[in-house]
Amino acid sequence: MSTPTIDPAAGPAGGPSTPAPTVLPAGPVVLTNRERLAGVVQAVGRRPADVPRRPWESLLVLGVSTLVYAWIGYWLVVEMHVVGFETLDRLNRALMVWHNDPTKLSALGFDYPPLATLLLTPLTIFTSPVRALLVVPLASAVFAGLTMMTLNTMMRRAQVLAPLRIAVLVAVGCNPLVVLYAAGGARHFIWLSFVVVALGALFAWYVTADIRFVMIAGLAYSVAALAGYSSLLWFVLSLLMVAAVLARLGADGTEVEGTTVGFAAPTVYVIALWTAFNGLLLLDPFSWITDSSDASSSGGLPSFSLVELATATGKLVLHGAPLAILVLPALVFAGVARRNTFALWLAIMLAAAVLTPALAVALRLTDSPLLMRNALPILLLAVIGGIWLARSAGDASTLVSAVLVVGLLASIPWTFSSMKTYEYQNLESAFAAAVSTRESQEGTRTLDGSTVGLISEEAMAGWIRDNVSRRSSILTDNAQTYAVMLLTGRPDLFFDRVDASDGPWLEAAKDPAEHVDFLLLSTDTDNDLLSQLYPDAADGADALLTVAYSTPRYTLVAVPAGFSRVADSSDDEGTEGTS
Amino acid sequence: MTATVQGPGTSTSTGTGTGTRSTPRLVHGTDPEAAALLPEGLARTFRVLPYAVVDGAVLVAAADPADPVVERVVSEHLAQPADRPVVLVKHTANEVVAAIDAVHPPVEGRVETPEQRRARTQLATMLTASGLVEPDQLQRALVEHSRTGDPLGDILVAHESIPEDVLVAALSEIHQMQRVGLADFEPDLVLGRRLPEPLAQRLQAVPVAEAEGAVLLAVARPLDAAAVSEVEEAVGSPVRQLLANRTDLDQLIQRVHSAHYAHVATTGLMESHPDSSAHVVVTGTQKAVLVMALVATVVCLVIWPMGTLIGLVGLCSAIYLVVSIYKFRLTLRALGTHLETDVTDAEIAALDERELPTYTILVPLYKEAGIVPRLVRDINALDYPRTRLDVKLLCEEDDTETIETIRSMGLPPHFHLVVVPDSQPKTKPKACNYGLQLSTGSYCVIFDAEDRPDPDQLKKALIAFDRVGPEVVCIQAKLNHFNQDQNLLTAWFANEYSMHFELVLPAMGATEAPIPLGGTSNHFRTSVLRELGAWDPFNVTEDADLGIRLHREGYRTAMIDSTTLEEANSVVPNWIRQRSRWNKGYYQTWLVHMRNPASLLAQTGFRGFMSFNLTMGSAFVLLMNPIFWALTTLYVFTQWGFIQQLFPGIVFYAASAMLFVGNFVFVYLNVAGSLQRGEFGITRTALLSPLYWGLMSWAAWKGFIQLFTNPFYWEKTEHGLDGGHA
Repeated sequence: MSTPTIDPAAGPAGGPSTPAPTVLPAGPVVLTNRERLAGVVQAVGRRPADVPRRPWESLLVLGVSTLVYAWIGYWLVVEMHVVGFETLDRLNRALMVWHNDPTKLSALGFDYPPLATLLLTPLTIFTSPVRALLVVPLASAVFAGLTMMTLNTMMRRAQVLAPLRIAVLVAVGCNPLVVLYAAGGARHFIWLSFVVVALGALFAWYVTADIRFVMIAGLAYSVAALAGYSSLLWFVLSLLMVAAVLARLGADGTEVEGTTVGFAAPTVYVIALWTAFNGLLLLDPFSWITDSSDASSSGGLPSFSLVELATATGKLVLHGAPLAILVLPALVFAGVARRNTFALWLAIMLAAAVLTPALAVALRLTDSPLLMRNALPILLLAVIGGIWLARSAGDASTLVSAVLVVGLLASIPWTFSSMKTYEYQNLESAFAAAVSTRESQEGTRTLDGSTVGLISEEAMAGWIRDNVSRRSSILTDNAQTYAVMLLTGRPDLFFDRVDASDGPWLEAAKDPAEHVDFLLLSTDTDNDLLSQLYPDAADGADALLTVAYSTPRYTLVAVPAGFSRVADSSDDEGTEGTS
Repeated sequence: MTATVQGPGTSTSTGTGTGTRSTPRLVHGTDPEAAALLPEGLARTFRVLPYAVVDGAVLVAAADPADPVVERVVSEHLAQPADRPVVLVKHTANEVVAAIDAVHPPVEGRVETPEQRRARTQLATMLTASGLVEPDQLQRALVEHSRTGDPLGDILVAHESIPEDVLVAALSEIHQMQRVGLADFEPDLVLGRRLPEPLAQRLQAVPVAEAEGAVLLAVARPLDAAAVSEVEEAVGSPVRQLLANRTDLDQLIQRVHSAHYAHVATTGLMESHPDSSAHVVVTGTQKAVLVMALVATVVCLVIWPMGTLIGLVGLCSAIYLVVSIYKFRLTLRALGTHLETDVTDAEIAALDERELPTYTILVPLYKEAGIVPRLVRDINALDYPRTRLDVKLLCEEDDTETIETIRSMGLPPHFHLVVVPDSQPKTKPKACNYGLQLSTGSYCVIFDAEDRPDPDQLKKALIAFDRVGPEVVCIQAKLNHFNQDQNLLTAWFANEYSMHFELVLPAMGATEAPIPLGGTSNHFRTSVLRELGAWDPFNVTEDADLGIRLHREGYRTAMIDSTTLEEANSVVPNWIRQRSRWNKGYYQTWLVHMRNPASLLAQTGFRGFMSFNLTMGSAFVLLMNPIFWALTTLYVFTQWGFIQQLFPGIVFYAASAMLFVGNFVFVYLNVAGSLQRGEFGITRTALLSPLYWGLMSWAAWKGFIQLFTNPFYWEKTEHGLDGGHA
């Protein structure tokens, strides 16, 4: 132990020597969050407050819209028999995901954008509603409800008064074009609803500078992209808009880059993934775009001169979405004269929506030129534009909203009348006739020459349900007989092209007695691979393959024990293909 | 622009302003609005009071208007436009004090007593007269004194205007007490321990010798009569006080009581809460359950090989799915909103620094000598009076380089070198436990050596503690990195932290789920931390474990919007070491708290129980990743039917959803975290995070294996590799 040094001297002068001072690093030490975020346009905590969330109001709009369209759709499909076969095809694929033998996700196929079918799979978990066709209207009504909900939220952000919001929703919702596509099960409202969600999120982002909305918009576009490839156009335009708006607000390059990467990543990912799937499974990575009905033509497109295209585009807007004629110039004026950036970009998007159908024809990217349904995106963008104009109008907001309502209401009878006669259409005239006459449209012909109705399918499905119980006992080309399969609610009864892919299916088609008890053939042998193999049987004229049951569009023949098809080279021609 | 008016009858201008005979005086009354232009502390310290505005000039009563320090303080701190003239008007000290008391009624304990004022003045005079302090230094110290009320000498030492020894010498002169030098003193441990440790700590006193029937007591500051009698009663004899250097005294107290501190640091939790200590990795019951589960699986594999494999794959897929959904739900909740406790600048500015408690900062250091100067700089940059900081630099005994570096720096006494005796387990929590026993703060926080906290973090934490309920005993600040741009690894690390601290933890805090605390920047109420048994020295993620433990005891953790920047690991092997420790710690923590699942469920409720398991489950998911990646890759290249059979129907759908949607969602959440934080430069690197997950799985397996081979080994992270990106 040592002794402590006690210094008797009092006073500072007697104090011990001081240690040498240590040289510490100088300069700025730590940047605070505030300093770090000083130049950031979209910094959390420095943004205007958003409107309060009202989940119950949103759910109410979603629920009411969905129920109304489902109810109208049920009447339209089940009683009026106005139904698109494409919807039945997608629903059958969705049904096969759960109930095929074996269950297979590959039932989704590559014919449609994958989410146009995958998003319907929750509707087909239970088969009873499928057989009763309850799910057909739901397949579009839910997404139409989502669209209405988004429009309502947009109007809340635009501070449109509640009565006017309801009036706008009713006026949009009652538009006959909207009603047909919202209630009839068509896929267009699937991708359109997500595009509207994305635009609604960008609307919110522009108002609040909250970057969360950019991400929501990015995610919504990724779903939209795989539900309808046309939405990629709005995605690209929105991407440019995000970058341009940020640059205009003074964001630096890093913020612009980071935000656009965040916005684009989901869509780029899903497209890359889908391209990879196409590459792996079809050996053509771009088959999704080159073979898709959304963006390809089979060559049967008639020629259009520029004048004809311009005229047809004018007619499309005039008959399908006349509101755009008011809104587009107003947006351009607000954008240019009042330096309203978002208005300008909405104008660009609306103009793109107007021009796209004609452009698709000019570039020969479609088989179905300037269809009336092409007016749907124009109409919805015009409504969004109108809402933005109402928000930008300041004190005149109520007046603009009222004009929007009047414009929408006025277009209802006009569009309804046009649906009966518009040249390029699907089920519009049948829908208009059903609404006008309250009579079933079974057997009527549409303006494009298709026959309306599904009695043949229902009858065949009913017979099969009553008489066949062994799984995989009916060989069929599901790409043609999907409606029957759907209406049985038992895809497991069928040996289809999804079960074990085309190879084993073709083997079974050539030697059916080894595999199945029946062949379900489409009487239209143009596209049905099985009917091409057994054309006589499809006509009910094959001596060995006796008809078990037939309808005008289908023939079910029994396969006797020991039956073997005598193959020849000509028979095999044209049987290659994929489902 | 300041002018001076001397006395009631004459006026002398020392600035551009002028005074006249008609200049109003305090006796004519005090304008409250004018008085509010200067804070009370400054008014009392410098005996000045703004009392009127005449002809556009502010009249300030001053007891000593000729003092240049007074003049400068008034001109710098008077809250008024810079171009408005200020006139110092000479008054007597009594007049000024009376006027100040009238405007700011004195509160006992907050106002300096005449004796204290006399001692302060005497000290200031001594130091300035001998040229030991520059006027600027004195002025700054006086201004701080006026804000905090802390002793002038302590402030001067804290700001290194004078050394502690000079202050001790000055105090010995003022108090007429002898000094004692303890720098090379070898203590008599028996004598030293005659004063019980709690008393020695509280009074900062140690018996150092006996002479003439009295114990010579080294003290940091003169003790009052009550304290002296308390000491005399404890040591059993009269004492004579000797003033000592605070740093030397602190070292002496540590040396005298080191055995006690070391024992408590290692065994405290083990003895007080044995069920919560990880000193046993797997309990007997757990071993039995694990063995039985293993045997059952093997038996099933033998009897139903494919069915069992499908069941295992299904189970793993289900775990994947629920862990992912839980994390996704949390992040969605936090996206774009402020779930943290928000503290505004105005609230920070409104804090009365006289009311600020002593704040302990624990900084564990091991072989980090090079980083100490930067650490000292950053701690001194905190917006908190240094005189109320209690910084413990916790060094291991064998780390002589760091210890010598700290000693050589001659740091002021708010920095305390704490040398933790060399013993097993040699872990950060043990060092923290050691330091906690020496802590004097009502609140404490841990910072790592390379940390750079937001300067206002301590004040934000205090305000947050005041605002939240009493059940909140821990405030977690956000962590992120200052060298995120260094390379891909650091950018990924920053992506991950952004998601974790900007989205996941705030959402967990908002839902009152048990939060696994981050390694640093967690602020505690010290008393509760001690009551909880502090950190588990045997757990290598003691922070996560403590977060769960405090939740089980009914306490809660909240988040604040303040960030501490750390150094992101920039070298893969170093990163793997750190991450393997974290994963091993998660496994340890899961095993500890699942010793009695029923008890955990009862204490945390169903949601808390699920949250805990799903949070810890993420570490187990990392173990599964390579297996599933291998199966997927093998299947893509071989289309092996066996693999297809492992994923029938619903299992395949769940696995596909996780593969194609879940993975992307997690990538995107990394993007979202960075965007939420406003770190746009690293957004694109987040898109490559699946490669980072590969590293994470590697580290997870390393940690998992080490759990059985070397459970308490602390994989040390090397710092200072930021290559100038700091």
